[in-house]
Amino acid sequence: MIRLNVNDEEIETDAEPDTALLWVLREHLGLTGTKFGCGAGMCGACTVHIDGVPSFSCLTSIDSLEGAKVTTIEGLSPDGDHPLQRAWIAEQVPQCGYCQSGQIMRAAALLEENDSPERAEILDYMSPNLCRCGTYNRIVKAVQRAAREV
Amino acid sequence: MQNPSATPPEALAPLTRRRFLQSASALTFAIGSAGLVTVSRAGASETTQEDAGTEITAWVRIDTDDRVHLVFPSTEMGQGSSTALPLILAEELDADWDKVEIDQLDRDDRSFGNPIFGNILYTAGSTAVYGYFDSLRIAGAQARRILMRAAARSWDVPVAEVTTEPGAVLHEASARRMSFGEIAALPIDDLSVPEVTEADLKPASSFRLIGSDLPRRDIPAKSTGRETYAIDVQVPDMLFAAVLRAPVEGVSAAGIEDSESLAVPGVLRVLTLPEGIAVVAERLEAALAGKDRLQVDWTGATGVLASDSEATLSDYSAALKNPTAERAVWSETGDADRAIAAADRIVEAEYLSDYAYHAQIEPMAAVASVDPDGLGAEVWVGTQTQTWTTRTITETLGTTADRVRLHAMTMGGSFGRRTALQQEYVSDALLISKEMGRPVKLIWTREDDVKNGRLRPAAAQRLRAGLTADGALSGWEHRVATPSVIAYFNALRWEQVRPKDIVSMRGSESQFYGFADMRAEHVLTGRHARLAPWRGIGASYTSFAAEAFMDELALEARSNPIDFRMALLASNPRGQRLLKRVAEMADWSRPRDQTALGVSFAGYGDSMAAGIAEIALERESGIITVQRFWTAVDAGLIVSPDNALAQIEGGIVFGLSSSLKERITISGGEVEQSNYYDYEILRANEVPEIEIHLERSEARPTGIGEVGTPMVAAAVANAFHALTGKRLRHLPFIPDRVQAALA
Repeated sequence: MIRLNVNDEEIETDAEPDTALLWVLREHLGLTGTKFGCGAGMCGACTVHIDGVPSFSCLTSIDSLEGAKVTTIEGLSPDGDHPLQRAWIAEQVPQCGYCQSGQIMRAAALLEENDSPERAEILDYMSPNLCRCGTYNRIVKAVQRAAREV
Repeated sequence: MQNPSATPPEALAPLTRRRFLQSASALTFAIGSAGLVTVSRAGASETTQEDAGTEITAWVRIDTDDRVHLVFPSTEMGQGSSTALPLILAEELDADWDKVEIDQLDRDDRSFGNPIFGNILYTAGSTAVYGYFDSLRIAGAQARRILMRAAARSWDVPVAEVTTEPGAVLHEASARRMSFGEIAALPIDDLSVPEVTEADLKPASSFRLIGSDLPRRDIPAKSTGRETYAIDVQVPDMLFAAVLRAPVEGVSAAGIEDSESLAVPGVLRVLTLPEGIAVVAERLEAALAGKDRLQVDWTGATGVLASDSEATLSDYSAALKNPTAERAVWSETGDADRAIAAADRIVEAEYLSDYAYHAQIEPMAAVASVDPDGLGAEVWVGTQTQTWTTRTITETLGTTADRVRLHAMTMGGSFGRRTALQQEYVSDALLISKEMGRPVKLIWTREDDVKNGRLRPAAAQRLRAGLTADGALSGWEHRVATPSVIAYFNALRWEQVRPKDIVSMRGSESQFYGFADMRAEHVLTGRHARLAPWRGIGASYTSFAAEAFMDELALEARSNPIDFRMALLASNPRGQRLLKRVAEMADWSRPRDQTALGVSFAGYGDSMAAGIAEIALERESGIITVQRFWTAVDAGLIVSPDNALAQIEGGIVFGLSSSLKERITISGGEVEQSNYYDYEILRANEVPEIEIHLERSEARPTGIGEVGTPMVAAAVANAFHALTGKRLRHLPFIPDRVQAALA
């Protein structure tokens, strides 16, 4: 049994120790807001926070998470009303939406580091996360909107 | 849209006549391509439905609590029509938008299929809004009149004296008001469908919902991780499956060594499927680990399907000049040969484009639960076509559509990927579930998705045109050597349209220019890869060739690229306006220091777009950076302007990504790329600032999902020429090719 702290809940899982956190979140715990895109840390759809650091859950095995706090999109805010989530809605960012949990999680880490990022800083910081629908410019607007509101 | 797992089954299930009549009080409307077909209400002793066995879709349902349910006939892949289509009907119905709930059509109910595709349920080609526009409006207007008629009768006033406000009928003279829900609860005896013609519809000046920036309904769930895609579905007792598919189309497994796979804890079975080997497990990670440990001896690939993409492209190029190659005229006006022969100068150039992959971020996934008798199933899958997915299920199980319970899930991107007549990710999930007697979630890895991608075909194109002594165009010929996409991805459709393949050829008709003498010709080459429609279809490469060639012609004619196109657009004032506008936006005539501009005028179907790219070049590495992109777009009446801007911007990003980076190569019949590290798509730090002007128009809507894409490649290539004096004639413009062009 491996113990995990996910969204401030202590969880025990009987998954194999080398199982990717992504599969445990999605298929064992039913936290499907975190998405599978590539399994290789190339698309960022699986981005979660591990002790506040944006991380690829597809490349993180659960045995490395002893004592760590994992935060997923479901745990970012109590009611889905994090300033970034409100900004995402206000700017109508998502199209297919599949990458957006990962985008929001990465953007949340950015705002922790930099409370008024410039366009170029946002684009650089967000570049591990792919969006095939091409919402990047709206993501910039939404991050800046959220930054103003925080 | 509603999360199917959170919705009571009866809310989404089709209504049988019996349930239809027994359901709690509600007024329901069936729709067809000409508007409303039938009106019924709970408790009515009769409906106009003749056949009691027919399943009726309640396309519009007005509940007594004022909620208005509208069924969305297309499917949602990010394009936003799950908001736009219901909104069109709600406009004419004068519904209170806050009371409107949108339900997904989950069946192959062709009573209200896409008229652009012969009434099948098919979401592609940027057609949903314009394909359904008239019928949704007429149906909405008819339903409104029925409500007005019922209210007038209950008040005993002439129907001419009543009117509506959002969600209610009013009789101003007596200051009476009845909500739609209250009317639905009335004992209505007249359920006839009133005549409504286009003249009875709202003028654009009265639109309340169309043209306003109402938020998309799907966005809150997509901003909170709550949207459910097929890959997210979980059902009780579900197994997981991963499938090792043949590396090359058409080969089969000569020998399978599966002992290591079966040794993985949680792996239950290894099953041989028609085109792959499935590992079935209690857990996804076990299925994936088991798949990795399979050792399969695939019998050798032979013949045309074991080809190499480089050789394929040179074969296609040779076919352009081969008079005996199979050809089909795609579009023709006047006499191109005679006009070119009579010209003062003839200009000719050849363009190449590689295979491209959809790269939608959600890999193929399906959940299937086959009934114990093996003749029915519940299936959760993303699809661009309820019709062909239903057919895949019925063909796989040898059953009939009434035994299919489909959930057409919101898709994590699609761009043409989920359009095929036969969908192996669906049939595989069914076969595994049937064999195992349990529900199964089948997931493709990214590597599976790339290796088994359905590609935009490679193409070789030759453009040939004449110029008169004073630099005017005299004849235009566009020849495209590429396989038929339709023949591969939908053989049934090919029987109907052969030899005209819109997927392979779109854009080469160059319809916006009104050429007096032109011919576009399809050289039908052999297929050496699995193919599918891809955002922009043929126009993604035909418009590249045509608009890059247009710049070559302008130079030859000693004309400015904008002026040269302006002259050719003389009979298209809307097009001229766009070109003029985009030139102003980009400040076209201002010289740049380290950058250069390139223009392109393309579009998609009847939607037009003029675009200008500003590029910079790192000569040593051969990397092109697009710094700015401006576009002016005319897509007729715009239903949802903010979403249209998002779609156009997304289309431009898609076009930039494919122009600069995206390339599938095939060796020995096998796709050489595996994942986003060797099939790169545009990242955030590579995206330019994009400025879009959307023309205000009351002309018929013409579609916005793909209009942003086709213009992009030529704008970049033309900017490259402006910067360097060199031409890029092979798409994509990867650094090697840029360096070769500069050498």
